[in-house]
Amino acid sequence: MTLSPRLGICLLAAVLLAYPLMLPSAFYRDIGVTFLLAAISASAWNIVGGYAGQVSVGHSMFFGLGAYLPLLFYNLWGWPPVAGIPAGMALSVALALVIGLPTFRLTGHYFSMATIAVAELIHIFAGTWDFVGAAIGLQGPATARNLWDLTFRSELPYYYIFLAVLALVLVTTALVERRRFGFYLRAIKASERAAKSLGVPVRQTKMRALALSAAFTSVAGSLYVIKTGFIDPDSGFGILVSVQMVIVAALGGAGTLFGPLVGALILIPLQTATNSWFGGGGTGLTYILYGGIIVLIARFEPGGLFDLWHRLSPRLRKRAHAA
Amino acid sequence: MLLEAKNVSKAFGDFRAVAGADLAVDEGEIIGLIGPNGAGKSTFFNCLAGETMPTTGAISFAGKDVTFAPSEARARLGIGRTFQVPTTFEDMSVLHNVMVGAFLRHPHRDDARERALRVVELTGLRAEQPARSLGTPGRKRLEIARVLATEPRLLLLDESLAGLTPAELREAIALVRRIHAMGITIVIVEHIMEVIMTLTKRVLVFNQGRVIASGTPEQVVREEAVIEAYLGRAHRRPAGQ
Repeated sequence: MTLSPRLGICLLAAVLLAYPLMLPSAFYRDIGVTFLLAAISASAWNIVGGYAGQVSVGHSMFFGLGAYLPLLFYNLWGWPPVAGIPAGMALSVALALVIGLPTFRLTGHYFSMATIAVAELIHIFAGTWDFVGAAIGLQGPATARNLWDLTFRSELPYYYIFLAVLALVLVTTALVERRRFGFYLRAIKASERAAKSLGVPVRQTKMRALALSAAFTSVAGSLYVIKTGFIDPDSGFGILVSVQMVIVAALGGAGTLFGPLVGALILIPLQTATNSWFGGGGTGLTYILYGGIIVLIARFEPGGLFDLWHRLSPRLRKRAHAA
Repeated sequence: MLLEAKNVSKAFGDFRAVAGADLAVDEGEIIGLIGPNGAGKSTFFNCLAGETMPTTGAISFAGKDVTFAPSEARARLGIGRTFQVPTTFEDMSVLHNVMVGAFLRHPHRDDARERALRVVELTGLRAEQPARSLGTPGRKRLEIARVLATEPRLLLLDESLAGLTPAELREAIALVRRIHAMGITIVIVEHIMEVIMTLTKRVLVFNQGRVIASGTPEQVVREEAVIEAYLGRAHRRPAGQ
């Protein structure tokens, strides 16, 4: 028996919708929310890193901007954090253009290097600038003043808000995948030289992908801060934030629609488990875990688990038929 | 005149890969560029395709100056090219590879797909086959299909028929003829003399960055400079023969 893609998607949607109702404890719901946030961030990264093959290792700069702007608006003017989301998106897109314009003129790894450099600069800058709370960071509303503050005691509303945003990111990515833009991104990833020879406006296409990816990553940052009510330079602009996006997408399958979801489904429970098992004694274990995963993916499965499944499933089906 | 290159030179530091080459191509022609390895024909070809910018000289296409136009702009104007080493989009199917080309003139997916399917049929490929599963002849054919989908007026073929078996070569020659019959002008860089003699009416011979001979294939193979370039000075015919 084979599962049609449409049925598979319906099944996945049903499982995601039912998850917090089936597992009502705060612990499992928190894992669910963390999983969704990781899936949103990685799916956003996937647009430029996976489909276009432009590996950004500094997406935390967009995540951080998305996280800081809502709380900055709240601290400056008392506005609900949600009001800062469009500003975070706009600033992230502007920053994406500033980085992309010079680096997309070059070939090779300059874009990756530039993203690391800019993200680290912003990280240091945020850590020393009093206007954004310096090393202490910014605090959001402790209790809800009204519904617009989106401050809830239960994890449940956050779960469904995050799920709706994930659905939006995935639908957008699916539309991109089907259209000329998506074809161009995959062509650029395979061979920029060949893509150019077919009339693909390579730099413009990469810029559009980066801008879209930056906007969604910024939304992920805003969601994070709306849920936690707090942001500091490490949780907003830290290198681990960027690395997690890359690893989640690469583990599941960069350049595939559901790859980041698969990656998040494996990595987040694994991370939660190691944190629970080792507690404070496991400080730094996340780095080891990420490093190990990078080595394993690079050595054995560069296409990620989704790619592995695609290769194995016809063989498994054949074997099942033969049996 | 569809394509005109005047006094084109390309230098890499002190080394002049192309030194003052001229080429004029009329609409509907098939022209061959030949020469020994390192003669400068590929560099000249890349200057025509917009991948390398000439150091001096001018190139015009359909009356427009394209000397410094990048390859994507030339593709939009109607100059298509293939590569010596096929660069197919490995993770895509044959159809999706060709659709990338078709999107240039047909921005909507359904139109691009329809156009791509027609080209795939013309080139004798299987639409749903993954590009990575194709052998060398299939990849070369796919490259031609992909560029045909851009609806070029001028097709630049860079050793697209090299490395094929005699049977595959015959099929490939037939394909180039079909493309030419569609009204597409062709400039072909090739080492295989059978291809040049069979397909082209006019040939330019390159050596050490210069055009040393031009004319019909039958004429150029008898030229002293051409024999010397390919076989060395010792093989020059004695005077009077």
